[in-house]
Amino acid sequence: MPSSDPLPPKEGALFRKLLKCYELKQYKNGLKLAKQILSNPKYMEHGETLAMKGLTLNGLGRREEAYKYVRLGLRNDLRSHVCWHVYGLLQRSDKKYDEAIKCYRNALKWEKDNLQILKDLSLLQIQMRDLEGYKETRHHLFTLRPSQHASWIGFAMSYHLLRDYEMANNILETFSQSQTSIEAHDYRHSELLLYQNQILIESSRLEQALDHLIKYNAQIVDKLAVRETMGDLYIKLRQHDLAVPIFESLIRRNPENVLYYEQYLSARQVSESSAVVAVYREFQEKYPRALCPRRLPLNVASGSEFRTVADEYLRRGLRKGIPPLFVNVRTLHQESEKATVIEKLTLDYFENLTRSGHFSREDADAGAAVEPASALVWTALFLAQHYDYMRDTDRALDYINVAIDHTPTLIELLITKGRIFKHAGDAVEAYVWLEEAQSMDTADRYINSKCAKYMLRANLVQEAEEICAKFTREGVSAMDNLNEMQCMWFQTECALAYQRMGRWGESLKKCHEVERHFAEIVEDQFDFHTYCMRKMTLRAYVGLLRLEDVLRQHPFYFKASKCAIEVYLHLYDKPLKSEAAIEEIGIENLPPSELKKLRSKQRKAKKKAELESAQAAQAQVKREQHQKSKQQASQETDPDAPQLDELVAEKLERTDEPLERAIDFLKPLQQLAKERIETHLLAFEVYYRKNKPLLMLQSIQRARAVNSAHPEVHSCIIRFMKSLSSALKQQRFNENVQQVLDKATKELIGSKTLQQLNDEFIAKHNASILHLYEGARSLYELDPSKKDTAIKLVTNFNPNKLRLEEAIKVYTALRDGDVFGECEEEAAAYQQACQQRFQYARIFRNIEELEAQLQEKEAAKLRAEEEQLQLNHVDSSEAISVSATAVTAS
Amino acid sequence: MNIRCAKPEDLMTMQHCNLLCLPENYQMKYYFYHGLTWPQLSYVAEDDKGGIVGYVLAKMEEPEPNEESRHGHITSLAVKRSYRRLGLAQKLMNQASQAMVECFNAQYVSLHVRKSNRAALNLYTNSLKFKIIEVEPKYYADGEDAYAMRRDLSEFAEDDDDKPNTKDGANDETTGVDKTHLKAIGSGGHNHHGGHDGHCG
Repeated sequence: MPSSDPLPPKEGALFRKLLKCYELKQYKNGLKLAKQILSNPKYMEHGETLAMKGLTLNGLGRREEAYKYVRLGLRNDLRSHVCWHVYGLLQRSDKKYDEAIKCYRNALKWEKDNLQILKDLSLLQIQMRDLEGYKETRHHLFTLRPSQHASWIGFAMSYHLLRDYEMANNILETFSQSQTSIEAHDYRHSELLLYQNQILIESSRLEQALDHLIKYNAQIVDKLAVRETMGDLYIKLRQHDLAVPIFESLIRRNPENVLYYEQYLSARQVSESSAVVAVYREFQEKYPRALCPRRLPLNVASGSEFRTVADEYLRRGLRKGIPPLFVNVRTLHQESEKATVIEKLTLDYFENLTRSGHFSREDADAGAAVEPASALVWTALFLAQHYDYMRDTDRALDYINVAIDHTPTLIELLITKGRIFKHAGDAVEAYVWLEEAQSMDTADRYINSKCAKYMLRANLVQEAEEICAKFTREGVSAMDNLNEMQCMWFQTECALAYQRMGRWGESLKKCHEVERHFAEIVEDQFDFHTYCMRKMTLRAYVGLLRLEDVLRQHPFYFKASKCAIEVYLHLYDKPLKSEAAIEEIGIENLPPSELKKLRSKQRKAKKKAELESAQAAQAQVKREQHQKSKQQASQETDPDAPQLDELVAEKLERTDEPLERAIDFLKPLQQLAKERIETHLLAFEVYYRKNKPLLMLQSIQRARAVNSAHPEVHSCIIRFMKSLSSALKQQRFNENVQQVLDKATKELIGSKTLQQLNDEFIAKHNASILHLYEGARSLYELDPSKKDTAIKLVTNFNPNKLRLEEAIKVYTALRDGDVFGECEEEAAAYQQACQQRFQYARIFRNIEELEAQLQEKEAAKLRAEEEQLQLNHVDSSEAISVSATAVTAS
Repeated sequence: MNIRCAKPEDLMTMQHCNLLCLPENYQMKYYFYHGLTWPQLSYVAEDDKGGIVGYVLAKMEEPEPNEESRHGHITSLAVKRSYRRLGLAQKLMNQASQAMVECFNAQYVSLHVRKSNRAALNLYTNSLKFKIIEVEPKYYADGEDAYAMRRDLSEFAEDDDDKPNTKDGANDETTGVDKTHLKAIGSGGHNHHGGHDGHCG
């Protein structure tokens, strides 16, 4: 490839060495070579050398200089493909992929058949999902190097991704025809055949796929994939007889696969429930250790047959003492009939086990051997979990206490007790039980993680971090280590805890950390574009691409995003004042004694803040050192990782554009979590504040498409219409917009007034508190003079028909005064009423009582510690005297 | 319960399960590396709602200097505490082992286990017939020794088609065990991100 500005032989050789050094990551040597060339006055402005010097500097992490030299080089030699390529590589390492693509395209203008540039371009195109561009580049590469395997594979894949299955298949078919020598056990060849088969199936050419599989069966080493696919194809092609033996053999191989049983049943065309149960019974005989044939009949059986199979299943589990017995039947509870049968059965077991040690009176009368003593504990645990599921806290506690009295050392019991309190609304009591459980098996990280989670639910972030630190790397803070390990559950729970505590910046920081993990996981695919082509694991690779396309669909992302959006909305509604302003608020109205108290409090707070900031600064220094050492360590392997700005809580919560930041989190949800109504309700809240009628309308329409009966949709409509009419008073919309809005208005409310609409809504839904809540809210919104009526609508609702979450929602609205205006008295009354109904829920208990309880607990803890200390003292003094004796004896 | 081969979309949940259960953690890329190099070898156990409650993450290793063929290696195996005593770990291991033999001609499978992890040791020796090969001093980041263990896989080499499945063994009553930890390539116990780049760049 002729350079546009060629160097003489000596410098040319140096330049080639420089390229080599870069490839080998010998950046320092590279710099020396560049210096040698550039020190010659004739070539001190040589573009390609300057560009390479820049790229080499980038390898050393000197980003700014890198850009300076690369740009300088390019300016000096705009017609050099090397300079453009180098600029592209630099942008790529900075993750500016769109810019990099442009650079590569410029490079190709000057050197259109450069393989390396084409390959690099194709990688960026697939990373950015420019599928058309990818196809063109792969085609170009194919024509340049038709003898290389990778050319064929990439070419075929580019068509597959564009859903041109025919072309993809033809390319692969031609390619495999040309393959002459195939080794006996050739994994890559086998993977390629299965990839081709996948393409046939995706193009719905099932018969062809089946023939292909049969033809190449002997060459495919992944026997499982062959059998699974073949069996599936036989069923789809209605050749049931041929499918039966295949699924029989698959079940033999893995009797714990639910799908195999389903397909076996459909191959045998058995669907009537008793017949299905009979089939499962055969498999129970055949594979006595398998779980599936015992558990699956419970899904299909009904009536007395269900009672029989459930009875067998439960007895067996309780006799053996299987802790997950309840979680394995939990899904059956969705059918109330089945839940009742299960409750009845286990209550009978409990009664009979208590009386005679048998599961039933019949067993006792027949003189059967008694069950193991532990069966009673497991039955009590099961009943506790059952009643907990039913939210019958009192009974759940009764049974778990029986179990704990019986076997106080069984950790599962303590965990269950904690969970019962969590569900009953007492996060503090819940974590206390988890902490106890955790202390009984400190080597198990699972219980440690659960304990940390419960602590976070009780807003004890620091305690949670300390607990987690028992399993994170020494020398790094647990927070940092968990972030490094992408531990999203922990970070999300932290974010939610901070949100509850009103520590907005900290909450946002955690949400952004989760967001960065997702960005990193998207980055992660980059290396696999070439890697998988080489390994030929193309089915898995296509799976990866499809996964990455919808990555932010993941519940972890949803949870963190929702939290971030809510916090940003809050910060928009109630922006933080500058710190000085907070302190001076209302001071002038204070009596002198109070002012004195305040001043002393402020002094203390200031001292504390200074201390904290000093500690924070120290921690910062440590973090930086750690960061530095990490950078140094990774310098040779990964110079590419761009430095992200540090997330600073104080900056995040004082953003000037909270709604814009909320939209950053919202966009992926709108794209990937369309089926969740919360997405559109959140979108409405954002656009309502941004005063964007069309986007509000869009959110409402999308929410209605998911569930038009959702209570919140109603108040969105009311608020939308109200904001529309006030907007109209100020300005006219353009004609098209007005048309859309008119049409929508008609659709949403018809000819009714908003008051009418709301009255009808309230009347229609008077049996649902969540609907009434939205109706009441709208009532107040439309006419603030109806405040009392609105509040009564929700507070008069029969408390016995309330669920805990509903009561909390209503109560917090009253307490915070941001839905119905100030209403302290009503809030207090409602709190009391709820306390009667939900006696365990902390939120309804009054502060004094809670504080007294807390103090009592602290005191008890202190006493216990003192006792322990004394004991230790006794122990150690004994130990000393013993060793002293030992010394004398020797 | 449902046991099946892991797909790319399972890898994130596997990582989540790992972080809950075990002290040795890896970044997502390392899971991708496994799933995209040896897609047949990793398995998951799901509950009724499709949540992942246990997994085995496995790979192939190049032959040792005195050996002719490759062998499998268990990078990580975990079952949530709330799903233990169902024999899931054993079942997951057997599925992975079968695939190692079929797809990659593995002669044996190796793993590391903490010396102090008696429950896991019990599972491996009694239920899965692993043998201790040697002690690797200070194998783990916290300084604990590891047992290097191996299980011969020749029983999986026969076609399983005509014989009843006996591998999910006689001793399925192992107690609360299912956990091991395994160091990944690269530095001990943490940040394995860089560890595999050499294989996958």
